[in-house]
Amino acid sequence: MKIAVMQFPGTNCEHETLVAVKAVGMDGEIFRWNRSEGELSGFDGFFIPGGFSYQDRIRAGVIASKEPVMQALLEEAAKGKPIVGICNGFQILVESGLLPGTGKIDMALAQNVMVSKGKIVRRGYYCDWVNLRHDAPSKRCSGSFIMEQGSLLKIPIAHGEGNLVTTTPKLIERLNEQEQVVFRYCDRNGRVINEFPVNVNGSTQSIAAICNPEGNVLGMMPHPERSFFAWQLPSFDPRKQRPDAAGPGRRIFESVKRYIEVSA
Amino acid sequence: MGATVVATADPLRFGDPFGPKANKVRWVAEGVVDGIWQYGNALGVPNMAGDIVFNESFDDNCLVNVVSLGIVRRDQIIRSRAPPAAGEGGYDVILIGKPTDSSGLGGVTFASEALREEDEETNRGAVQIPDPFLKNVLFKANDDLFRLVREEGIEIGFKDLGGGGFTCATSEMGAAGGFGMEINLDDLHKADDFPPEVLSIAETQERFLIVSPPELRERILKIYNEHWDLPNVYEGARASVVGKINTGDRFTVSHKGEIVCDVPIQHLTGGIRYQREEKARVIELTEPDIPEPADYNQVLLKILKSPNIASREHVYRYYDTEVMGNTVIRPGEADAGLIAPVRGENFGVALAVDSNPFYGRISPYWGGATAVAEAMRNVAAIGAVPSTVTDCLNYGNPEKPEAFWEFREGVKGLSQACKDLWLKGHMGQAVPIVSGNVSFYNESPQGSVDPSPVIACVGIIKDIGKAITQELKAAGDKLFLIGPRFDELGGSEYYKTIFNVTGANVPIVRFDLERNMIYAVIDAIDEGLLAAAHDISNGGLAATVSEMALTRPAKLGFEIDLEKALGIGASASMRTDKILFSESSGFVLEAKPGKEERLLEILRGYCLDPMEIGIVTKKRRIVMKRASETVADIDLDEARAAWTSGLAEAMR
Repeated sequence: MKIAVMQFPGTNCEHETLVAVKAVGMDGEIFRWNRSEGELSGFDGFFIPGGFSYQDRIRAGVIASKEPVMQALLEEAAKGKPIVGICNGFQILVESGLLPGTGKIDMALAQNVMVSKGKIVRRGYYCDWVNLRHDAPSKRCSGSFIMEQGSLLKIPIAHGEGNLVTTTPKLIERLNEQEQVVFRYCDRNGRVINEFPVNVNGSTQSIAAICNPEGNVLGMMPHPERSFFAWQLPSFDPRKQRPDAAGPGRRIFESVKRYIEVSA
Repeated sequence: MGATVVATADPLRFGDPFGPKANKVRWVAEGVVDGIWQYGNALGVPNMAGDIVFNESFDDNCLVNVVSLGIVRRDQIIRSRAPPAAGEGGYDVILIGKPTDSSGLGGVTFASEALREEDEETNRGAVQIPDPFLKNVLFKANDDLFRLVREEGIEIGFKDLGGGGFTCATSEMGAAGGFGMEINLDDLHKADDFPPEVLSIAETQERFLIVSPPELRERILKIYNEHWDLPNVYEGARASVVGKINTGDRFTVSHKGEIVCDVPIQHLTGGIRYQREEKARVIELTEPDIPEPADYNQVLLKILKSPNIASREHVYRYYDTEVMGNTVIRPGEADAGLIAPVRGENFGVALAVDSNPFYGRISPYWGGATAVAEAMRNVAAIGAVPSTVTDCLNYGNPEKPEAFWEFREGVKGLSQACKDLWLKGHMGQAVPIVSGNVSFYNESPQGSVDPSPVIACVGIIKDIGKAITQELKAAGDKLFLIGPRFDELGGSEYYKTIFNVTGANVPIVRFDLERNMIYAVIDAIDEGLLAAAHDISNGGLAATVSEMALTRPAKLGFEIDLEKALGIGASASMRTDKILFSESSGFVLEAKPGKEERLLEILRGYCLDPMEIGIVTKKRRIVMKRASETVADIDLDEARAAWTSGLAEAMR
């Protein structure tokens, strides 16, 4: 089972993502953007990690989405192979038309706008730990394959542009109906409150992650690789006291592994 | 050096956000924070520590110090000098990175002058223009270079281009190896056809220099120009062979067929010895005669909201504190940040920064010594052993005898502290200062900045599972104070915020007491006796213990008795405000239940006088009494609103 962790100029989370891939027992390597795109067909799954690919020039993710390796990933996606885009990787998947999966650019991850009681209290980059609620059924999506619907995930975010917006009529309704909304921001009890700080970036309906209609492509703003070990958790989380234990984000990587096993 | 950068910290000093230059001060503060996050986040290095102090001495001259921490195996360190074989071997001089332009021309000279408003336009060109995107790609390409030379077992020289640009880096590399060098400026990749003097000293960012044997040339060029595709990643960026090392002793530069420079290389790098006069600054300060406040609730809320005490959350949420996935303790959770930079290993590296300009104003010596002591306390408060120190010494114009005196006093203070707070387990052996930086001429016609020897302390903890944080953990836990309260409120937050006076009794470092406190706290954490620890500094005991309740998740309150904070030998008549707000050094410790006896044993073993001052409560209130009389009693949410809004309101 071989995973390619994609690397564009400006990517900065590839090493810790590869650590997580290997820690759940998958083989993996970092795949530089200017390698031959034909090699990608030799991999069973793909992670597009976070960072600032091409410096966010024009828009976050747009230049990387035009690279030949991304065109090759469209073909791999069509074969049903799992692709998980994290943070900037999510932005790249949106720009490439892989998410929400209509082949067009139907939505955007816009600048964070933190709204509380009808007022904008802050904008832009934000780094903190948040809670996610898994809103898709289990086995709906490659990257959350082993997670039960309604289960919670503690995980950090670190982005300036994760505010999911769209002008496409009915898109959000369709995403809800087709169970393409994989994670929403929520409080520690799983309640979705569409206000800062629970909705940490102003995203429509507190959406933090979506998948394509087929479920093999997942885009998420939070960083599961930074929540992979219990020792990475914030100090007030009781699980931190067991430093050797697994962190909540590990389930994303285990899900991809399980998804590949099941699809094989 | 061949190290991987694993953390940064950013001690910042800005002017008075409520003073006559408030608008400019706030604009500068927001701009500096934007610059730090936009560069650091894109580069992909976590920001693990920092501090911000506002005071009017920085109205015209802010200080932006940034500490960077790297990790490298001792046997893989790469030196910034031409290696011994470079002369005979005719080694290449290879320049990599951004094309040389005219940015940052005279940057070091600019930074070494007092600022005058009318020079603003002329000075603009002296500012370097950084690009984190290119740096990110260069870092990865450099890793491939270091791997190549490790595999080949070949020693190279490697150096970052900083102040003084190309000439400085090349001549220093050559001279450090004892060789001469020929440079051809026509071979430099450049943004335009600049005159030779511009190419030689412009401080274009994101450039490095390699001195390497000719047999590696093609493979090195390939790493940068093909694998990492610099020319297509950034317009004009690449690796170019620009010169050769020789066995001579001259530094020769040619440009368009002409020799434009031919000097003995040592001439460029040898230092100049100055004779500076020094004269003690006459500092006329007295202790104020102030009435004791009637309403301590209001005083405490005002202090918690002060921009120098308030939560730093408004700023650190802009910083990526999690990238690299190594973060164990992040900003806001404790006195120091902690990373576990080597996967599969249990050890952690702690980082903290400190310097109090208000103390430096009263006594530049104690300003230096207290900065070292506090940075070391910060690291100890999470359980790490202070292992090394670095400094950035920020002072005024050293040509003025008083400013030079301040500088010398500051250096004496921090040197004394490093010697007398020696390395744990190595009695008498000073904590080493392994690197540093001096920044003079921090002044404008309105005066110079307060003496600011900014200290960063790096600590090591063997097991990250033992590290602790500052927030209160469980109702019923007992709170202990170590470090007696002295009448040391000179430069304190209390004097400044409540009475707008400086005072005279600056906190000093009692070296034996300080060292014993630091070691005792480390030992107690190592034995697993403490649930939380927080060091006492700005705002005194009152702010310190309040912060422990206010730090997330902020679910618990506390009740303390100030009468019990007096300890052995203290004057029983010490005024309540002085007990609360004296900035004498110390720690507040939350003991784990059942571990109190062993804790007291350890503390007493270090000749300390532990004071059991109170208890953690389920009731979410900050309660301070003296004997049976209530001094302060504040709802935790009200205190938290003050504490979390103070910095945002000062910066917006």
